[in-house]
Amino acid sequence: MIRRILSLVKKEFIHLKNDWWLPVFMIFGGALELLMIGWATSRPISNLPLMIWDQDKTAASRNLVISLDNTDIFDLLDPVESMTSIEDSMDRGDINAAVIIPQGYSEELSVPGGEPVIQAILNGAESIPAREAQRAFEGVIRDIGEKTTIKHLGLNPDELSGFDFSLRVWFNEALSEAYFTTPAELGLMLEFTILLFAALTFSREREFGTLEQLLVMPFTSLEIIIGKSIPVILVGMIDFSLMLGMVHFAFKVPIRGSLPLLFLLAFIYTIVELGKGMAISIFSKSQHQAFLLVFMIGMIDFMFTGYAAPVESMPQIIQYLANIIPAHHWLDILRGILLKGSGLMDILPSVIALLILGLIIVYFSFRYIRRALD
Amino acid sequence: MSFRHLWAVIRKEIQHILRDRGTFILVLITPTIVLLMMTYALSADIQHVPIALLDYDQSATSRSYIQHITAGDDLDLYIIVGSIEEIEELLTRGKIKAAVIIDPGFSEDLLAMRGFSLQIIIDGTEPESGGFAVDHIGWRTEAFANQILASQFQTRGFALDSIQPIDLRIRAWYNPNLKPRVDLVPGLLSIVLGFPALSVALTLAREHEHSTMEQLLVSPITRIELLLGKMIPYIITGLINVIIIPLLAIVWFQVPFNGSFLLFFALSALFLFAELSMGMTIGVFMRSQSAALAASLLIVMFPGFFLTGIFFPIASLPEMARMESLFLPGTHYAIITRGVFLPGIGMDILWPSAIMLTVIGLSFTGIATLFFKKKLA
Repeated sequence: MIRRILSLVKKEFIHLKNDWWLPVFMIFGGALELLMIGWATSRPISNLPLMIWDQDKTAASRNLVISLDNTDIFDLLDPVESMTSIEDSMDRGDINAAVIIPQGYSEELSVPGGEPVIQAILNGAESIPAREAQRAFEGVIRDIGEKTTIKHLGLNPDELSGFDFSLRVWFNEALSEAYFTTPAELGLMLEFTILLFAALTFSREREFGTLEQLLVMPFTSLEIIIGKSIPVILVGMIDFSLMLGMVHFAFKVPIRGSLPLLFLLAFIYTIVELGKGMAISIFSKSQHQAFLLVFMIGMIDFMFTGYAAPVESMPQIIQYLANIIPAHHWLDILRGILLKGSGLMDILPSVIALLILGLIIVYFSFRYIRRALD
Repeated sequence: MSFRHLWAVIRKEIQHILRDRGTFILVLITPTIVLLMMTYALSADIQHVPIALLDYDQSATSRSYIQHITAGDDLDLYIIVGSIEEIEELLTRGKIKAAVIIDPGFSEDLLAMRGFSLQIIIDGTEPESGGFAVDHIGWRTEAFANQILASQFQTRGFALDSIQPIDLRIRAWYNPNLKPRVDLVPGLLSIVLGFPALSVALTLAREHEHSTMEQLLVSPITRIELLLGKMIPYIITGLINVIIIPLLAIVWFQVPFNGSFLLFFALSALFLFAELSMGMTIGVFMRSQSAALAASLLIVMFPGFFLTGIFFPIASLPEMARMESLFLPGTHYAIITRGVFLPGIGMDILWPSAIMLTVIGLSFTGIATLFFKKKLA
């Protein structure tokens, strides 16, 4: 049996040799892509164009502008003198925010009991930068306001102050953005690579009508499935190792937990996705269909990796759905082992969920494929 | 170019699409399903973030503080713990996203108006909920401290009701509550519409793979006719989605649509043209469908997801990535969709994006036609 499986694997590799673009693309392309996208997006939000209309033009208003500039998240544009310019730039999407300092700001600020009004306008058409800008505005205004009050009261700044909190970010002391982004990006690319490879296994044979040939040969369906699986698993694991190296060495994401455990679970995850991909490939009548199905399933799975929004805050029904998505548990495991140094016991629920899902998916795909093959 | 020839290719492609009904249905419904799922999942407001509290102060003030910060829907008190080790374990297991440590002397400092410090610990692996927790703990703490300070001011005879004299009025235009779904739905359009459009790369590669390309080329059809004929059916299916998706966005997700639908439709056609021409270029170079597929994933889709300003602002990208984003049709289309949906702007502002899409479309069609000839000569 092993010899027959090996001959099947050899056949697959001959095929890959003729079509060498595909494995090269997926193995190195995925890793390079991760390098590029990780590099581009693993940084704090900065450089947001900010427009200022300073009607006051005093030392106090300039001080406010400087404080905004010092937050390092804005790119200060040339000051303007009218609401029309702000409206126009906002409509064009050229700016993410605008601040209007009213005339008399400095005066009101200098008398105790005065209450100057600062208007800030956010561009809601891009809500993620808008929220970042909002945070910065609130911080700057709080600082200036408190300092002013303390001065008015003639108090010692050490004596009266608002609160100041010390923030500690566990598992990511330096607040490196790469810690957040690269594991999810790795997850996305790994899933697409495996799904794609697996989805092509039978759909290609079927499209070319060579599936029948394979079936009349003296292989059992089990042997065919295993023979088709081995190259996919190999590509998946090589891809994972390369990308993990990238994440660790290029983006300095630590591997705090056990590396063998991580590889073991990556292997299990690969098999789960392989099962899904093979089911797609039997279901699809052509490679084109397989391609579209992979896209649909891959994109939906990606939402559950916590890249753009935490799963806990999703609608209840989506949270239930998350439990049956292998990628969701895999990302919990990946983040846990890389960043939190979790041992098997810490991530046990995710591991068990992944195993159960894996058994169900692999069992049904296997039955489905066998029935289709026999 | 002869329209009879063009029509022949279109008919052939449509026949192919219709024969393979599963594919046709997928090309048609994938954008809607993916958009529906993604928006639904990504657009929820963050709520009920579980936090733990460690109270070293154990005073009436600290207890009322704990009540104050967990009173809303934003932060949920998961547990009050007795030691920092418990926090560590809860964070490692992912049971809580943040923890607040109230130091001894909290109430004393606060009542004496000496300022006080708090320690906040967040789970650094989950940026969204961590950042959310910091913001909300901060706001609630500030409000709480202000209440206490104001009453202290009064007892000391200062005529102040708040430590904060500046009245900051923040307004968000186009999206007053900064609901993510309002800008995500238009933003995601480029991904969901662009992907089925890339399948044109597959249909070209398919002709290579099945060796039917030679047959097509000995027919009197010119190359540009062949390429355009391959594109048009996908532009049509894409445009059907351009009608369905805004309806879905407006009715289901309640995204405002303030611009002109006609303009949106026309510019969407332009976007599909640009995306398809990239797909064709890939199809010309790749000899098999699987390679074409991998290439479109790596060259168009992943960058289209991360570098077109949907999740991460383009302004914050490094110079080189910003340059690359200019060559992605999705970048320009995201400007168009957000502009037409939200501020409702017209061609007077959107023309540079329209020109860029045209340039991308024409150059890639040109490259495809040119290399198509060379490859077969």
